[in-house]
Amino acid sequence: MRISYNWLKDFIHLPETPEEIAQKLTQLGLEVEHIGTYESIRGNLQGVVVGEVLACQKHPNADKLSLTKVAIGNEQVVSIVCGASNVQAGQKVLVATIGTTLYPSQGEPLEIKKTKIRGEVSEGMICAEDELGLGTSHDGILILQTDLPNGTPAAKLLGLITDTYFEIGLTPNRADAASHLGVARDLKTLFNRPIQLPDIQNFAIDNHNLIIEVKIENTKACPRYAGITLTNVVVKDSPQWLQNRLKSIGLTPINNVVDITNYVLHELGQPIHAFDAQKIKGKQIIVKTLPEGTPFLTLDKQERQLKADDLMICNAEEGMCIAGVFGGLESGITQETTSIFLESAYFNPDYIRKTSQAHGLKTDASFRFERGVNPEMTVFALKRAALLIKEIAGGQISSPLIDIYPQPILPFKFEVSYKNIHRLIGTALSKEFIHQTLQNLEIEVSHISDTGFQVKVPPYRIDVQREVDIIEELTRFYGFGNIPLSPFAQTSYLAEFEPKDRHKIQYQIGQLLANNGFYEIYTNSLTKPVYTQLLKSISEQQNILIINRLSEDLEALRQSLIPSGLEVIAYNLNRKQKDIKIFEFGKTYHKQTNPQGNKVEQKYTEKSHLAIFLTGNRQAETWQQKSKAIAFQDLYNILQIIFQKLNLKITQTIPTQNPDLVYGLDFWVANKLIAQAGLLTNSILKFLDIKQQVFFADIDWQTAFDLYQPSTTYQEIPKFPEVRRDLSLVLDKKVTFQEVQNLALSKEKHLIKNINVFDVYEGESIGKDKKAYAISFILQDENQTLTDKIIDKTMEKLMQTFEKELGAIIRK
Amino acid sequence: MEHFSRIETIKTEVQNFVIQDKESLEAFRLAYVSGKSKIADLLAEIKNIPQENRKNYGAAVNALKELAQQKFKEHQQKIEEMLAQQVQAPQIDLTLPAVPNALGSMHPLSITKNRIIEIFERLGFNVSESYEIEDDFHNFTALNFPPNHPAREMQDTFFIEKGENDILLRTHTSTVQVRLMETQKPPIRSIMPGRVFRNEAISARAHCIFHQVEGLFIDENVSFADLKQTLYHFAKEMFGKDTQIRFRPSFFPFTEPSAEIDISCLICKGKGCNVCKHTGWVEIGGAGMVDPNVLESCKIDSQKYTGFAFGMGIERIAMLKYGIKDLRLFTENDLRFLQQFRHL
Repeated sequence: MRISYNWLKDFIHLPETPEEIAQKLTQLGLEVEHIGTYESIRGNLQGVVVGEVLACQKHPNADKLSLTKVAIGNEQVVSIVCGASNVQAGQKVLVATIGTTLYPSQGEPLEIKKTKIRGEVSEGMICAEDELGLGTSHDGILILQTDLPNGTPAAKLLGLITDTYFEIGLTPNRADAASHLGVARDLKTLFNRPIQLPDIQNFAIDNHNLIIEVKIENTKACPRYAGITLTNVVVKDSPQWLQNRLKSIGLTPINNVVDITNYVLHELGQPIHAFDAQKIKGKQIIVKTLPEGTPFLTLDKQERQLKADDLMICNAEEGMCIAGVFGGLESGITQETTSIFLESAYFNPDYIRKTSQAHGLKTDASFRFERGVNPEMTVFALKRAALLIKEIAGGQISSPLIDIYPQPILPFKFEVSYKNIHRLIGTALSKEFIHQTLQNLEIEVSHISDTGFQVKVPPYRIDVQREVDIIEELTRFYGFGNIPLSPFAQTSYLAEFEPKDRHKIQYQIGQLLANNGFYEIYTNSLTKPVYTQLLKSISEQQNILIINRLSEDLEALRQSLIPSGLEVIAYNLNRKQKDIKIFEFGKTYHKQTNPQGNKVEQKYTEKSHLAIFLTGNRQAETWQQKSKAIAFQDLYNILQIIFQKLNLKITQTIPTQNPDLVYGLDFWVANKLIAQAGLLTNSILKFLDIKQQVFFADIDWQTAFDLYQPSTTYQEIPKFPEVRRDLSLVLDKKVTFQEVQNLALSKEKHLIKNINVFDVYEGESIGKDKKAYAISFILQDENQTLTDKIIDKTMEKLMQTFEKELGAIIRK
Repeated sequence: MEHFSRIETIKTEVQNFVIQDKESLEAFRLAYVSGKSKIADLLAEIKNIPQENRKNYGAAVNALKELAQQKFKEHQQKIEEMLAQQVQAPQIDLTLPAVPNALGSMHPLSITKNRIIEIFERLGFNVSESYEIEDDFHNFTALNFPPNHPAREMQDTFFIEKGENDILLRTHTSTVQVRLMETQKPPIRSIMPGRVFRNEAISARAHCIFHQVEGLFIDENVSFADLKQTLYHFAKEMFGKDTQIRFRPSFFPFTEPSAEIDISCLICKGKGCNVCKHTGWVEIGGAGMVDPNVLESCKIDSQKYTGFAFGMGIERIAMLKYGIKDLRLFTENDLRFLQQFRHL
């Protein structure tokens, strides 16, 4: 919303500069987002003055040029070489003096300098219309009909003005401030300075020559409707001052009648609509709704299908205007209009809003009606508009003023206590300040007691209906900045903390990964629905789609962290970053096909994940070691570190069940699947044009967090030494280490403390389908030193078991 | 007397002996320290000394022995140090590079979020979280957004279901306030970080996802002055001791009075620059006193309790803190961007 500084001054005395006013308005909650300068035309012809051609003769060296002597005021006469054919002695002209910058209607700005043209000195320029930026005419210089003395600035002659405007980001609660009057009212209260309303004393009815009957069928949608007619008006361009006012706040002047309605809207905040009275069939106005689907041709030449709740201003036969939102093409003011019907009304904000939304129509009028205009301004604004039309477009007021207001909207009445003001703000305001502020805000105070008072708030302050709203108003004018700060932070209450701090644990795991060379990523929760088809681990049925999506690429909530993580990998691969270790703590979103209930969290579930991606080389190629491609084991290693950090004892690992992994493992803790890890399938990589292997792990973060036990119980350090025995087993390739381990533990759980593989060998010498594992066993008895006899017996038992159960060959 | 002059001779020898390497050290040891040294010989000679001189003789030889041992120890240490240095001397280039990029990093938004949480935890706020998919009630109605009100348009909303109680992606973390107040009795003192969604095209200055931290304190007699003090404390801890804070009246349906929070521009220190659009101030969030309607809709007695709430954009704070000018960097995850946040 734009507010003109000069226009504000119509209402209130403002010795402050525009910058100071802008600062004050921002402090009051009318945030000035931008201060702009308005000039009637660019540069406002600064340096251009009225001059008089005293003498004019032919240029000695050029046929088409003239040498002139021009008086430019202050007894100054300058020589100017002029190329216009119509220049003559005795003419009053506009002269661009030396140093002036002209902004022609077309082309580059032009700076006027002292020059010599074909040997003759020229100290300025006699201007044509287009050179001044006033129009497009280049038919010679502009010849003035004026008695103004030489040297008079062109800006004064042409009524050019400079103004400052404020671009205010109006918050939706401040319907009262959506006009120059409204903004002035805030300044009045702040400065405790009077404001002056426009004078409507002269309003009088001239005759009864044009009577229009008004009927309101829907008084809920239209609580108040006022109207009046004018005859013999002449529709033409508005005078300069009016055009300037409108242009200064960014509006385009149309014609005097329409301009006046716009003027009053921005002056007083009351939208006024003007109808061509001759188009009002049956001389009747009916305010009502029309049947759903009724076609209506609006001002923008579009045919719209009306909704059953659209309030319409109709004549005896048809709709003429969508009330408070948009005019009709047929009934508007044209150059031929001579008689008009002026409307000023209070429409129900809910109706206007619904209509404005349904048709996607936002106008200056609907903006104000949907927020709530001042129902007590209806008649005042109508009189103001009628008087302005009479003054500017001529004519007579030709009907009594109609004002239908069956059920007046009442002021808001309630109690306010001093104690509550003090309690909420945290500082005591003086009673004097409180009462003066409210008085300036036109809020009536009565029943003042020691503890409080009663207020009567005018209905245009729709944002002030409760005690707390009064407190807000007082705080606004007291100044948020003036509320004192205590010397230190303090509180009456410290919150309780959960023993397992979710945020902290997540952050620590993140740091753990970062310390191991991983980068944390944040990716969009919105993604392409097509990913559901590419990934087999998620189902299309569970996709959650956005109704009003931004684009096809951002239509679905993600069900997996794989696609967005791969997008990050693709992004970095394209930027020559080939070795990528990343992780993301993120949510996935799933529509429940059989929800447990009707709550939003039952119909749509969110799951927390920790996703890890590895691709490229384990580490960069260095002098210490050659680069080595990342393998599954690297992923396994980091998972182990995470499990250790979270005190999770994996009870079972099985070949992964995740169909999006070529191979991999599922990690279980008791009956809870905690993580899946492995190599991603090609189909999804191909879609993103990734040509290198990507390993992926998905940790069910909620389950991991739930299973995590922060407690530690100290275990006595064993008093008796541990011993190590190694075995080399030749096994079938399909036998896993886990089988070996489980088997060993099932036989000797008590003595075996640790089993480790320290070498893996495959080769022709042991057979094609075979492999050799060199395995170390750490044995320890907590109660005694192990004797060779026991050790040998134990190892013998293990070897026999491996031979028997796994078909292992023990290499000696 | 001959014996005593021999002690003097050997003493002079010990004093003048030059030890400069391992070999001369060993020669010295053999001559004056070992069991078969000249000094050992002198000691053995004691039996040939007359009784009356024995005590003096013994003392003189022992002093000499001490002297020799002292000299030996000193030089032994020096030579060992010298040798130790010689051992390292072999031609190793110790400046060969260490393994590059061995250290990863947390995302700057995590770092910023964590910092915010740390500061408020010290002020006794705990951390709460809740759903991102929400209904109209928790995102709007309970927060005092009247149906069809223009205030709803302040936040471009993504809808999942349209109906009596629309299902949508939360547009602010204020939903968590409602969830908390529904389940907990005052006092409540909590901050609520999380992801929020707005139907805005992705650009340098806007994104369809971003992150907020909401704060809520409800107790008896909580005032606007408390709110100011709390956020002032936060601003100083987050952005530096000299940071100034400014509250401007604004409008949020769920607070009354409502304020926008500005801090003095970190770049120009309030003098005016491009970042602050020459105002000297930059906005970091909104705040206010919890509207009584919100308390009542969560069944909290608004006569008894008052409270303050605030909300801040984590991206906004990270951008100010790190001088980041393009919001998209946070979700592009360019490793060269992330690498800049490795250090503490």
